[in-house]
Amino acid sequence: MTSLTARKTDIRRSPLQTALKVLLYLFLLAFMVLALLPFVWMLSSSLKLDKDVFRYPIQWIPAQPLWDNYAVIWQRVPLMTYFKNTAIISLVVTFMQILTSSFAAYAFAKMTFKGRDLLFLAYIGTIAVPWQVYMLPQFIMMRQFGLYDTLWALIVLQSFSAFGVFLMRQFYMGIPNELSEAARIDGMSEYGIWFKIILPLSKPAIATLTIFTFVNTWNDYMGPLIYLTSDHMKTIQIGLRRFIQQYSSDYHLIMAASLCSLLPVAIVFLFLQKYFIEGIATTGIKG
Amino acid sequence: MKKLLSLFLVLALLLSLSAVSFAGEKKVLRVASWDTLTGGYLAATETAFEEAFPDVDLQYVDIASQDYFQKATTILAGGDNVDVIDIKELSDVHNWVEQGYVESLDPYVEKDQYNLGNYLGLENNYRADGALYGLPYRSDFWVLFYNKTLFDAAGVDYPTNDMTWEEYAALAEKMTQGDGIDKIYGSHYHTWLSAAVCWAVTDGKYTLADGHYEPLKYYYDLVLGLEDKGVVQEYSELRAANLHYSGVFYQGKTAMMPMGYWFAATLIDEKAKGTFDFDWSFVSVPHHPDIAAGSSFGSITGSAMNKNANDKDLAWQFISWRASEAGALAIAKVGTRPGYVSESVAQTMAAAEGFPKDDNAKAALVPTAMSLEWPIGEHVNAIKTIVNEEHTLIMTREVSVEEGIEAMNARVAEVIGQ
Amino acid sequence: MNPKEDNAVSTATPQAMIKKKGSLQRRNTLIAYSFLAPNFLGFLIFTMLPVLFSIVLSFLNWNGGTIDRISWAGLDNFKLIFKDFNFTRSDMGITLKNTVLFTLATVPLTIACSLGLAMILNKAVKGAKFFRTAFFFPYVASVVAICVCWNFLLMKFGPVNQALSYFGINISKSWTQSRDHAMLAIIIVSVWRHAGYYMVMYLAGLQGVPGELYEAATVDGANAWQKFWRITFPLLSSTTFFVSIMLTISCFKIYDVVAIMTEGGPGRTTKMLVSYIYDLSFQQIKYGVASAVAMVLFVIVLLITVVQFRAEKKWVNY
Repeated sequence: MTSLTARKTDIRRSPLQTALKVLLYLFLLAFMVLALLPFVWMLSSSLKLDKDVFRYPIQWIPAQPLWDNYAVIWQRVPLMTYFKNTAIISLVVTFMQILTSSFAAYAFAKMTFKGRDLLFLAYIGTIAVPWQVYMLPQFIMMRQFGLYDTLWALIVLQSFSAFGVFLMRQFYMGIPNELSEAARIDGMSEYGIWFKIILPLSKPAIATLTIFTFVNTWNDYMGPLIYLTSDHMKTIQIGLRRFIQQYSSDYHLIMAASLCSLLPVAIVFLFLQKYFIEGIATTGIKG
Repeated sequence: MKKLLSLFLVLALLLSLSAVSFAGEKKVLRVASWDTLTGGYLAATETAFEEAFPDVDLQYVDIASQDYFQKATTILAGGDNVDVIDIKELSDVHNWVEQGYVESLDPYVEKDQYNLGNYLGLENNYRADGALYGLPYRSDFWVLFYNKTLFDAAGVDYPTNDMTWEEYAALAEKMTQGDGIDKIYGSHYHTWLSAAVCWAVTDGKYTLADGHYEPLKYYYDLVLGLEDKGVVQEYSELRAANLHYSGVFYQGKTAMMPMGYWFAATLIDEKAKGTFDFDWSFVSVPHHPDIAAGSSFGSITGSAMNKNANDKDLAWQFISWRASEAGALAIAKVGTRPGYVSESVAQTMAAAEGFPKDDNAKAALVPTAMSLEWPIGEHVNAIKTIVNEEHTLIMTREVSVEEGIEAMNARVAEVIGQ
Repeated sequence: MNPKEDNAVSTATPQAMIKKKGSLQRRNTLIAYSFLAPNFLGFLIFTMLPVLFSIVLSFLNWNGGTIDRISWAGLDNFKLIFKDFNFTRSDMGITLKNTVLFTLATVPLTIACSLGLAMILNKAVKGAKFFRTAFFFPYVASVVAICVCWNFLLMKFGPVNQALSYFGINISKSWTQSRDHAMLAIIIVSVWRHAGYYMVMYLAGLQGVPGELYEAATVDGANAWQKFWRITFPLLSSTTFFVSIMLTISCFKIYDVVAIMTEGGPGRTTKMLVSYIYDLSFQQIKYGVASAVAMVLFVIVLLITVVQFRAEKKWVNY
């Protein structure tokens, strides 16, 4: 049955392929509409008067776009300070995360040692515990360390996540062991193998982790809510929620502020995405 | 990749260098509260207090209003030395007392011979085992706001301070005009439980923690009936759109709206800013035929002293000033209703810039009877969750009023029986 | 050519070597620990210790306040949450049922969507860059804005219901306000948010699949379907392992979307385990009981992870 279809495909190759390609693009376009529709709505709402936001039928392109809304939000709350704080946290966390995770992941993926599996399970296990439960003990401890109401609190909390180790380990598992074996036989140290062989091979993984960490830190709400009190320390998500609470009926402004907060992350993504497709050297070796 | 990493590092360093803080020279008083940036009564309090005590620098610690209790509790648990902590809901302070985070005010009251007679007994809600843990600085009760301009245009008489719920419903029906996008509704209920059915507690005897919910049926039937007639917007639509009541009122989409008195200050403020330009006023909320006119329910807001306060005497100085006539006058000027309501405070409130000028509004400033929205008690928080959950089912018409009340009775009985 | 056989050889070699040399293993262990240390120390102090404390807490009574107010509870907290346990009445039963249903629906749907999108975008498709960015967008935006937006799209007279009515499906309510559709709304929004996120994982994973394998398979006469099941899917197994564990965990921990879109309602239709935990710890201040519920969640997720972990050892192809 399957071989029959295979042969059929061979015979009618070109028309079927064209049809498939058209279908493929239609599918992609449909998905894209789904993915972006809410953003289009947000954009269009952000240019409207408040009272027109929830009107039916939807007016996708406002008759008189109010670009002023974007100016208004910068005056209402100190968004610039929030942006700066969030940028500091996100950049430092992302850097630390990549460094320590790729290091630890090497041990989990490429080395054999006592208690490895148990330790790894403990890492994953902690991911499963909802933060709401251990938030209080964690907070009391952080206060003892004198880190409360400093950006350091968020940095140390998020820099050593199990998520990063897990993600990097999975990628390292995909790099054939022959590579590290060969290097070991050549007398290279484990650190050398990590730095000279594994790390250069894991660009897509690093790009992925960078984006994930950056996005998660950027969008983190509960952490800053609990740990930051002074106004000059607050982050963009706190600013956004505060904005939403204060101007709870001004959906046009909320949408404008949300879109602004989204931009930096979108830029990071655009910048890093080429690494996802850049073929890696393992390709030739494995087959 | 290396370039990228070094770029990260340099950026991070530069940014962290610019984030340095510095301290002032005055005595610093830190007060944890919510919505501290919106201005309004908190800004008025700050200005007046610093004028009265020039050596003190009052700093608010802003906590998101939605997560107020959670974050405030976390701060207290962590041993923060914030001096004063505001009490958003009654249950907050009772939880803090139980957990030992707040200081009793009794020694200070005794030392200063502080007069507690001006709060009409409201301060007793802040007592636990006889000891006082807070003083009220705001007391809000529910009134019926209305859009004067809409009533004028329709040639219908304004609502009065003595209306039954049936009379109110008939008036709302009369005021409903138009269709589709431009429809103007006769009244508006926000999605809170209190807006729809809390009226049952205005008799001063029944409380929502009593464990039986038959008294709510009258009000559910009323609200759902108004929805059916298209006199008020549907609950489920309001919930789905996360619509805030203020927008509905500003845009002139409703003729009347029962809401807490705090909305008056917002209205004064927003009208001054030019958000809307119609005239508004308020009267006492309607009443059940068996309950006296002018009865309402409300809540009080107060301040408590942190056990770990940096400077307890300074904290008391603020708490007592804020709850006194001087503090009351400062916030009455901006239209907020203080906990301390004397003759001169009431006059100041009525004289506030932008306050409605009619006699009915002035008369409605002092309710004939005020019950608390939720009482204090061991299971109240668990009961709140249950009643609110069943409330959503009734209001979205997923269950009938009878079924919903039945479920409230059964589930609350389980909690109380534990 | 079969990747599985290939793998068997490659993993056997280093293990056999290590068994022969005991001292090497000891030295190896030390080096391994040095690799782990920077991350592990931070992780231990800032995350694992508080987590351990919360595990202990589930056997204690603590209603807030200083540490000396803690007393031993034994299994009382667990007895309390499992009292009158059933799936239609008790909070524990309802939230557990809702969470499991949500997870069972969301995990496979998200994996299918993200893998599908990654497969398509991994090929030379025109505008791939644009599509990739577009699909990732939903994850980037603030949850609040997204949920407000979806709530609007799913309203009674909203665009979704309008579109459905063309196909003869008439839904006369806002999705989030109806017992029949609220859960579906949460599932849709979750899949929508995460499909692009995990697509990125798969895209990165696909970079490790050697093109030569496909060429050889084509020569052998395999069709696209066979290529997918025999080559792509097995070689992506370590990514799938990661994705399925992370997804399962994040589904079990869902909170934000529910809190904003439905607040667990109507009634308790979409109330999840974490909403229940939140209620217990921040409304009722019963930290011990809240920890007990969290432990139930923890044990379930741990069991699932162990099963997947075992499966990884058996099936993952490296």
